[in-house]
Amino acid sequence: MNGMMLVARREIGTQVRTRAFKISLLITAVLVGALAFAPKLLDRPDSYTVGTVNSQQLPLAQAAPDATFEWRAFPDEEAAKEAVLAGDVDAALIDGVRVITDGEIETELGVLMQSTNREVKLGAAGVSIPPLQMQSVGADTRYEAARTGIAVVLVLVLFMLIIGQTMMVAMGVVEEKGSRIVEILLSSIRPWQLLGGKIIGLGVLGLINLGTILVVGLAASFASGFAADFPPGMAGIVAGVLVWFVLGYAFFATLAAALASLVSRQEEVGNVMSPLTMLIMAAYFVAFYATSDPTGTLATIVSFVPPFSSMVMPVRMAATEVPLWEVGASAALMIVAVLATLSFGAKVYERAVLRTGARVKLGEVLRAK
Amino acid sequence: MLEISELRKRFAAAPGATEGKLALDGIGFTVRPGEMFGFVGANGAGKTTTMRIVMGVLKADSGSVSWQGKPLGYGERQRFGYMPEERGLYQKMRAGEQIEYFGQLHGLSAPAAKKATDDLLERLGLTERRNDSVESLSLGNQQRVQLAVALVHDPEVLILDEPFSGLDPIAVETLATALQERCRGGVPVIFSSHQLELVERLCDSVGIVSAGRMVASGTVGDLRAAEGGTLRVVVRGATPGWADGLPGELSVTGDRHTLLVAGGDDQEILRRALKAGHVEHFGVEQPTLTEIFKEAVA
Ligand SMILES: Nc1ncnc2c1ncn2[C@@H]1O[C@H](COP(=O)(O)OP(=O)(O)OP(=O)(O)O)[C@@H](O)[C@H]1O
Ligand SMILES: [Mg+2]
Repeated sequence: MNGMMLVARREIGTQVRTRAFKISLLITAVLVGALAFAPKLLDRPDSYTVGTVNSQQLPLAQAAPDATFEWRAFPDEEAAKEAVLAGDVDAALIDGVRVITDGEIETELGVLMQSTNREVKLGAAGVSIPPLQMQSVGADTRYEAARTGIAVVLVLVLFMLIIGQTMMVAMGVVEEKGSRIVEILLSSIRPWQLLGGKIIGLGVLGLINLGTILVVGLAASFASGFAADFPPGMAGIVAGVLVWFVLGYAFFATLAAALASLVSRQEEVGNVMSPLTMLIMAAYFVAFYATSDPTGTLATIVSFVPPFSSMVMPVRMAATEVPLWEVGASAALMIVAVLATLSFGAKVYERAVLRTGARVKLGEVLRAK
Repeated sequence: MLEISELRKRFAAAPGATEGKLALDGIGFTVRPGEMFGFVGANGAGKTTTMRIVMGVLKADSGSVSWQGKPLGYGERQRFGYMPEERGLYQKMRAGEQIEYFGQLHGLSAPAAKKATDDLLERLGLTERRNDSVESLSLGNQQRVQLAVALVHDPEVLILDEPFSGLDPIAVETLATALQERCRGGVPVIFSSHQLELVERLCDSVGIVSAGRMVASGTVGDLRAAEGGTLRVVVRGATPGWADGLPGELSVTGDRHTLLVAGGDDQEILRRALKAGHVEHFGVEQPTLTEIFKEAVA
């Protein structure tokens, strides 16, 4: 155990000190921060400027509290018309009976002006109408946009981190094998300690990355006000992302180490890893598709199938409400898959890592006793 | 005592070949505590393969390795120091940190590893390079770091595969002294080398391996005795034909006749030489390890 922790600590220590690590951490932090401010910049509330000629202001702000209204009084219709054509005002109310605009009036503004005008007139005539009570009997869709946004960002982050850290594991394994450091390492620690330490160390680095993204993302969301749109259970979503990252990473990194132990040169890493990279890409595509249809059959089924579940389930959790038992069942299946990969990967690694030279065939490794 | 007995190893056949290479064919030898054992043999003789098997990096097909009477296992190997033939270090890691790291992997506490590293760097003349990355060191200095990695945990046994190759004469002396010190402390040291004069000078005993078998082993003195010396006789102004009927080879330059004889009746030769002329030199010359080696692997 001690040997494994020493290996893990070395991995963390050497990586954290590199400039590449610091820079990439900074870039992700800035990107995520910018992303949290994006909705506010893109989705600004409507604002209208309305002119009046010889009219009372309509209680528009009362009817549409999200929008802002500015009123400008004009001495006569001629001046108002000029302002409308110049684009200074969106519409002008003439004598309380007519509205002039440049071309067709914007629908929302038109409807607002009609209904508030009607209300004011009816109110003046002594008629009061209780407003309609709105009630949804379907799913809560208030947070849909925010949920989808969060899910899209999540799937991207998970994909980048998993593929990045997995690649690091593979390159580290080949570095040690190719340079024959393994000969010394394995005369002082056991193969599983070396393998485990490497996977844990690089996994911790991945978690540092993910943690930074989450902290910066959440902080920026609160700062930008985007957090107001957060769906309930945000803490659960965040915790879920961490757990699913750990499971997915453990699965893919173990396979990566096993595959990489078959070759002795860095140039061969890409080649030997290609089936695994393809698998990760496939998981990514399914997960990305799930962001647009999180309640669909495909997303639901695949969110139970390891290793795809490690990317699809967090997407579903972010994009819709997922019953707890489903999350638990999917996680249990994934844990079983991780354990199976660990025993398989450790076996391959142990048998292949000392066989330098030409690429070792997987079949040969599995057959050898 | 480190006992290696009857090791056999056949490598897997290359694609297309019917039979793999038989690298070890029953090699065996023992090394006592405090003994410096020189492992020599032609390229491809099986030295590296033997050392890898001792370190558990390779598995033998048959045969055994035991340390202090017990089969050598993982726990014991952890207290061994090993320098592989193909040097392996983390290129981007600092020299000092690397030595400390391996010290800790071998079970030293962090402060103990640091102290041992400081001492070794001092001994090996690398104190100034402590914080340099390994890749920025010269080949010889990388080799010193590699050696430090093998020594940092004060090993019970040292297995070094060609530790002297690539070192300058000063570094060779430093390393030789370091090894002799460990040896005096009771550590058995095995090292392979192609520098036979060095082996002759440093080693208590020598093993000559050829085609996976130990063809000669023992102290350098034993090997010499087994090989036998060469009698060298120089006679001035001898009458031609004086050595007819005597064994050995005669060479004549001017009036100097030199006779080299391996074995034979030395008293008879001396009598004949005295009769023939003025005997300038008469003596037995010890074979060098190189000569013994050539003879053994021939
Ligand atoms: N991995 C391997 N696969 C196949 N054959 C091998 C392998 N390693 C070594 N051999 C063969 O085993 C024999 C012994 O090799 P070994 O490396 O032990 O020799 P050595 O005595 O160390 O030689 P050198 O002095 O050149 O280092 C050689 O014929 C070599 O070709
Ligand atoms: Mg060798």
